[in-house]
Amino acid sequence: MAPATDLLQGTLDLLILKTLALESMHGWGIALRIQQISKDALQIGQGSLYPALHRLEYKGWICADWGASENNRKAKFYSLTRTGKKQLEAELEDWDRLTTAIALVLKQV
Amino acid sequence: MLNELLTRLRFFLARKAHREVDEELQFHLDQQIQANIAAGMPPQEAQRQAVIAFGGVERAREECHEQRPGYHIETLVQDARYAMRGFRRNPIFTVTIVLTLMLGIGATTAVFSVVDRILFRSLPYAHADRLVSVGLVAPIEPQEFMLGGSYYDWRDHQTPFAAFTSETGVDPCDLTQGTPARLSCASVEANFLPTLEVHPLLGRNFTAEEDRPNAPKVALISYGVWLSHFGRDPGIVNKLIEIDGNPVRMIGVLPKDFEMPRLQAVDVMLPQALDEAEQRKADPGRVMWAFARLKPGVTIEQAKAALQPVFDYSLQLAPLQFRKEVHLQVRSLRDRQVHEVRLVAWVLLGAVIAVLLIACANVASLLTARGASRERELAVRSALGASRARLVVQALTESIVLSLAGATAGFAFAELLLRIFIAIAPKGLPFLYKAEIDTRIIFFTILLSLVCGALFGLAPAFHKPRAQALAGRASLAVSHAALRQWLVVTQIAVSMVLLVGGALLFHSFWNLQNQHLGMHTESVITARISLGQRNYGTSERRMAFFQQLESRLRYGPGVKWLAVSDSLPPGGYHRDQIYARIAVAGRPKSRGGTGGQVAWRWISPDYFRALDIPIVQGESFKEEELTSNGHLLILSKSLSSRMFPDQDPIGQRLQLASSVPDDPWYTIVGVAGNVKNGGLADEDEPEYYRLRRNRPEDWNGSSAIIVKTTLPADVMERWIRSQVATLDPTLPVEIETLRQRVSQLADQPRFQTVLVGFFAATGLVLAVIGLYGVVSFLVTQRTPEIGVRIALGATRRDILRLVIITSLRLIALGTFIGLIAALVVSRVLSSLLFNIGPRDPVTFVLVTLLLIFVAIAATLIPARSAAKVDPIVALRCD
Repeated sequence: MAPATDLLQGTLDLLILKTLALESMHGWGIALRIQQISKDALQIGQGSLYPALHRLEYKGWICADWGASENNRKAKFYSLTRTGKKQLEAELEDWDRLTTAIALVLKQV
Repeated sequence: MLNELLTRLRFFLARKAHREVDEELQFHLDQQIQANIAAGMPPQEAQRQAVIAFGGVERAREECHEQRPGYHIETLVQDARYAMRGFRRNPIFTVTIVLTLMLGIGATTAVFSVVDRILFRSLPYAHADRLVSVGLVAPIEPQEFMLGGSYYDWRDHQTPFAAFTSETGVDPCDLTQGTPARLSCASVEANFLPTLEVHPLLGRNFTAEEDRPNAPKVALISYGVWLSHFGRDPGIVNKLIEIDGNPVRMIGVLPKDFEMPRLQAVDVMLPQALDEAEQRKADPGRVMWAFARLKPGVTIEQAKAALQPVFDYSLQLAPLQFRKEVHLQVRSLRDRQVHEVRLVAWVLLGAVIAVLLIACANVASLLTARGASRERELAVRSALGASRARLVVQALTESIVLSLAGATAGFAFAELLLRIFIAIAPKGLPFLYKAEIDTRIIFFTILLSLVCGALFGLAPAFHKPRAQALAGRASLAVSHAALRQWLVVTQIAVSMVLLVGGALLFHSFWNLQNQHLGMHTESVITARISLGQRNYGTSERRMAFFQQLESRLRYGPGVKWLAVSDSLPPGGYHRDQIYARIAVAGRPKSRGGTGGQVAWRWISPDYFRALDIPIVQGESFKEEELTSNGHLLILSKSLSSRMFPDQDPIGQRLQLASSVPDDPWYTIVGVAGNVKNGGLADEDEPEYYRLRRNRPEDWNGSSAIIVKTTLPADVMERWIRSQVATLDPTLPVEIETLRQRVSQLADQPRFQTVLVGFFAATGLVLAVIGLYGVVSFLVTQRTPEIGVRIALGATRRDILRLVIITSLRLIALGTFIGLIAALVVSRVLSSLLFNIGPRDPVTFVLVTLLLIFVAIAATLIPARSAAKVDPIVALRCD
């Protein structure tokens, strides 16, 4: 396994929003999904996932509901709100702009 | 954005239970453990790995909690509550700090409320920063004025001003309707209020037509008169009132906060109604005061430069001897109003801020000492995971809670101080009667206390608790002590500066009070009477009144000497003329400059006896000369020696207004000793006296009766009042002893001396308390060491010396820094000092000795207790 890359500052929010865009999910699920999709390249500190989730909830971008998990345990499920969807689009655009810009610079030099 | 705010608000109000977060995290861990077990780990290992993968569970829980909206407010409340608990446990400490802050903040608030209007607050006119005072300055009148002969030329040809206006002063006038009252009537040009951008509260401003001579009379009344005479009746506009016997139509009411630009009291405002054509031709024309509004973007310097051509033109028309002594003056209205007291205001503000600094240093020092004893507690909190920022915020919260408490107490103290200030303040200090603690001052004080809190809170807050503190041994807290020592050095230095200032002012005040006035003020009572135009319109009537009064008083009980004069030394109003206009018989007219001013008075024969002024040559006026036709004169010694340096002045003849065609020749009959006549501190003018004969032309409206008496002043005062009342019961009389009059002249120096002296004393006391605190702190900390020293054979004397030398180092350093600072700073006082230099060596030496003496005395108490340390107790403790 290649050493996991540390997350870029501020990208955790984006990853959470993107993950939740497909379906509502509990914290464990989000962590697992990000790890799986990135093929273990992105290792999120599981501890830092929850403060981020709470922060987003307080901002009103995601909302939380208690529901039953796959193995029928009580779990907190997060889903994207309307503001959250708009925010995701805006952040994605920003991300695109940033990466294109960086790529341009890297190619040039 | 709004959405987000609303969400936050909802979560702020409806808090999530702690349990929710716990459950959520637990669920996560369980899932991980199950996944690990599924991957084939034994259960215990699965749990261990899950926790490792997660990181700090407690930390995550805390961080989730910190995301809450309102988290910071919560900590703040928590900190404040914690601080309060701490203060309650230690009431003496808390009270000391709050009292110290009360002194500092209260005094600063009181002084600020006094100087605010002088230095900072904007004038009650719209865009007041563009208002300027314009005019001429001459030796006769150092405050700029205008003359009718030039004003209209200036107004027509000026370029830098958007508006140019004038007033011709405020004169007493009588309201002769209903309850009669003496009022102050201001005369202004029609565009006066528009130039100041003041709008009448009710009614309208004057029109240009109403500002012509012989126009129908109209008036604006002040808010005060509207309130006291008309009960704020909104229907008074266009009604008639009677002023000086003439009907005048009231066209409006001035705003409540209206002020004349020269700050005269005003009850009624009238159009000045000058005849412009006549004024233009007149030389010099009516005395007036001009004000202007600068065009946007024009500076005062530019305006002055732009006015120079019209000024030069006016100057050419002036008599030759004036030209060199007259200058153009353009300055901001605020400068015009506060010219004399600005320096005093800054000095007071500086002094009080110095006191505040000392107080803050004291509090910082106390908090540091407390910090040292709380080091263990802080170390524990740090070890339990409190971050540095959290500890700093907590310390700051404590100090701000303290300083707000100090500010609250300070408000009460400031109210008290302000009342004292107003009670002892001189009349001339502008705006003082209006000083009060309003919202602006409250805002200032709260800001001030926050700054203070940050100042004295930060010093101890940034001290990092050290790990050794956990070990439980009392640490030496060396760095605490170092900080406190520096604080004490600063305190001593600042109070040195304050003391030097206070001592210089005191010394100067002493000189002022104990100078020789040239006359004797004991048991002299003066009564000043000003006869109104209405009942005493002619000089015959005025003379008759005063002669009747004189004959009634002359043979009264206890009257030793009685004199009548038109003015009184040593200060205040007296008549003036230009030296160059006096011609000496048999000498050519002088052709230099104006030669400065010569003071003169109308007096009755016993004037010199009543005031005990020596006649050094010739003789005084005689009773029989009152009815003579001769023109007699007595010169002061300085005038006589200037005019006749090597001649006998007696019998010489003078013309007083040599330019007037048939001015009579006066014969000098005597020379009197010099008497102070320019106030207490200012340069004296040479002076001459004219005999006021029994001829109406010698008598004008106001006179002062001077009585040298053998009776107590209050008895005499009642008697004089009763005699005046039998002649005219409505006439106001102003009776004071001459000593009171002289003392009033020293009011302003006394005010600043008392205030700065009070601040210096407060500063010294605070600094000494600070020094005492630090030395006893050091002694307590070194108790084991001192015990060892005594056990090893050190004598009491050695220990005493040890402590005193430590403190002497602080005192010496503080005094030295203070001396240098005082030498630099005292220069600003020079113009406030009388007969003493700002670097007067005696004052500096005395103050230094006083400070060192008091400081050493403060050290002796802890030093003696150190010397009494019992080695056995000292070594056992801790």
